Amino acid sequence: MSLSASFLTDVAGVLPADCLLSEPADLLTYESDALVHLRATPGLVVLPRNTAEVQAVVRRCHAHGVPFVARGHGTGLSGGALPVPNGVLISLSRMTAIRHVDIENQYVVAEPGVTNLEITRRVAPFGYYYAPDPSSQVVCSIGGNVAENSGGAHCLKYGFTVHHVLGVEAVLADGDVARIGGPSVDPPGLDLLGVLVGSEGTLAVVTEVTVRILRRPEAVLTLLAGFSSIDAAGAAVSAIIGCGIVPAAVEMMDRLTIDAAEASVHPNFPPSNAVLIVELDGPDVEVRELFATVEGVCRSAGAETVEIARDAGARDRIWKGRKAAFAAMGRVSPNYYVQDGVVPRTRLPEVLRRIRELEARSGLRIGNVFHAGDGNLHPLICYDESIPGQAEHAERVASEILEYCIDAGGSLTGEHGIGMDKRKYMTAMFSADDLDTMQRVRCAFDPSGLCNPGKVFPTPRLCGEVPGPYRAHPVERAGLAERF
Amino acid sequence: MAADTATSPRLLEPVDAAQAADMLRDANQARQALVIRGHGTKANWGAPPSRLDAVLSVAALREPVDHCAGDLTVTAAAGVSLADLNAHLAREGQWLPLDPLAGGSSSVGGLLATNDSGPRRVRYGAPRDLVIGVEYILADGRRAKAGGRVVKNVAGYDLCRLLCGSFGSLALITSATFKLSPLPAASRTVSIVVDSHDAFAAVSRAIAGAPVVPSAFEIHAESSAPVPRILVRFETTAAAADAQAGQVIALAGPLGAKAELLQGSAEDTAWARHDGVTAADSGMWLRLNVPSASVATAADWIARRGPDHGVGFRLAGRIPLGALMVRVDGEAAAIARFAAATREWTAAKAGYLAVLAAPPSVIASVAAWNDVGAAPGRVMRAVKAQFDPHGTLCPGGGPAGLT
Repeated sequence: MSLSASFLTDVAGVLPADCLLSEPADLLTYESDALVHLRATPGLVVLPRNTAEVQAVVRRCHAHGVPFVARGHGTGLSGGALPVPNGVLISLSRMTAIRHVDIENQYVVAEPGVTNLEITRRVAPFGYYYAPDPSSQVVCSIGGNVAENSGGAHCLKYGFTVHHVLGVEAVLADGDVARIGGPSVDPPGLDLLGVLVGSEGTLAVVTEVTVRILRRPEAVLTLLAGFSSIDAAGAAVSAIIGCGIVPAAVEMMDRLTIDAAEASVHPNFPPSNAVLIVELDGPDVEVRELFATVEGVCRSAGAETVEIARDAGARDRIWKGRKAAFAAMGRVSPNYYVQDGVVPRTRLPEVLRRIRELEARSGLRIGNVFHAGDGNLHPLICYDESIPGQAEHAERVASEILEYCIDAGGSLTGEHGIGMDKRKYMTAMFSADDLDTMQRVRCAFDPSGLCNPGKVFPTPRLCGEVPGPYRAHPVERAGLAERF
Repeated sequence: MAADTATSPRLLEPVDAAQAADMLRDANQARQALVIRGHGTKANWGAPPSRLDAVLSVAALREPVDHCAGDLTVTAAAGVSLADLNAHLAREGQWLPLDPLAGGSSSVGGLLATNDSGPRRVRYGAPRDLVIGVEYILADGRRAKAGGRVVKNVAGYDLCRLLCGSFGSLALITSATFKLSPLPAASRTVSIVVDSHDAFAAVSRAIAGAPVVPSAFEIHAESSAPVPRILVRFETTAAAADAQAGQVIALAGPLGAKAELLQGSAEDTAWARHDGVTAADSGMWLRLNVPSASVATAADWIARRGPDHGVGFRLAGRIPLGALMVRVDGEAAAIARFAAATREWTAAKAGYLAVLAAPPSVIASVAAWNDVGAAPGRVMRAVKAQFDPHGTLCPGGGPAGLT
């Protein structure tokens, strides 16, 4: 069903022509986010430049009953920004202003299209930075980070986006603007900010974010250790935690991903079956003392090589190797499917073993990059889409890995979100009552069901729904969702 | 609106979550109103409910305590006290690093419901920052959960945070899972005395600019000693704690401040005295939030306005977070006027004021909470209506009085 002429005229009345895209060729870019196998064509793409323009568009959508999806820079890995077919796609990519920097009070106010790294760049001259550091931070938007509650390698010590957002301004589905939180902590009322972060763009369109910035730590020490096996590296991680040390980051990569990264960005990783990157930061005396312990633990755990980054250049080189891992997989495989499961760290050895067995059975190579400190896995399932059936096979393998994560008491997603990609697994992790209660929150924010419908939940819930016989939800009738 | 106490509310004491669910369902069906109680350390916080038929105590919900040391997580039932929980965790050298004023007697459920915290919030966070999973019961008796047992988890909506700080107005929390920290090897505290508010501001700024990572960085002041004092605590290896304490002492001297290094029992005494500054059963209990660089001005303002209004004050707070707790004593009208003036002043600084507890005559004349704004208020009321359509859970007693 395409957008009505009256709706299009209405929207054209509130945005200049160069903020509207409707030609098929222009819509192509917006058909998917970074989960490229899920595609849908929006009816209209709008590129508002400020809060008032976002509000105007949302008001028109609400008046005409048109669903809309907000998008940052399209780096998402779960299809969260997948358009509703023939719906409106609101791209925040033009809202790139940093509205306010307050070093003394340690916060920055940014529009949603500002990249994660740009916030750090802006405060770096004063010795500050913005802590959550997803690997895509050069390109991903802070608005997108809020939607997904993004983490990054250093979230082991510093937490996620929700720990660093002090406030937002957001346009609700009926077009009202809500300001929640601000430069001071403990705003009154329910923690709507806490539930908005990580809601994957389904509750409101965020038009401004206030984030906390931190002082750069006095010292940072990074080591890169090569091990003969993932198990050996894992034992080293357990031993480090057992010493009562919480590193700033602990990352692990397996042979396949090491080779890919090496071929791609030449970080000079050791030719081992597994590498561990351990980073400590903080006051100089503390870091030196604890780092010596970490180095000792790695060697006792049988590290074949240990490199301690001598300077910032060496540190950057090591991290470049880690952060390039996903993109580098393009060199070793025509296609790959990135998963994002979480496993309690103590259950990692068992889950990794199950994944190795699965790899052997499936005939597909599975690379492993993961946040070893918190059990967040990123299995990279390699396949060739030109071989009939392989894409579907890769998806089934990815599903099975998620089952292992749930069996082990983990989670479907540590960072990438549920989006469209993992809706069907939600019933494996949550009961009907769990999901129903979450959807009650959605009804409270958006009774009209127009804000990014069809994402996160496998079975949409009618607002004002009463228990009783099955009734199809409008989104189901439109063919946009199925009951699983 | 005062609660109807013509007939005393009855006390419900479920022995487990299933019984709690039955009791809630029954109350909901009978259209009764109840409040949830942990160990009662914050029973007088927030506005009283508009009606009250029963108090549901979770004190008997003390199982499970499920500690996974290798993962640095614990799942604890709502009725477990913080002291008992930390005693259990200490066996593996770990802890839940919360230090609310009520200390170890706070219940897990109560901590989460009020998001109560203390000096260590500066480094470790409040319950809001440490909770990773929650199990709860809705007013109609249905049981549900959110989050999980792993720290890294973005599946589904973050209802852990929605329930945190909801003052028992949305659901009954039966257990929660938290991320833990290893117990620190050593602790050192620097106690700093200055002779003016300007000196306090200068010393705070200097410490904030130093490359130290305190686990507490506190102000305290009172009517009888209005110039603020500072306590800075380091919890890490002995060498690192000594080094950082030394850096702070070295900064303080040239700014005309007297700094003293404390450890062991002298350190414990200093912190007990700091907690004691604001502990009391009487007076008005305020939570005052300002941007962190405004703490000095806030302390100065309170020191001058307190006497002007004829009230006594005692305050303690987290300097880097701009989070101050203030005990105010005096006669009712004076306290109410002081609260109103303080609310206006903090609002002008992009801050907030919450009247957490006050004598009944004061509650009647000053709003417990700041206005949240029309759109957020509408959503909060809608959330309440979705969770608790019959107003069974603490009606009107939620945070902002909307729930």
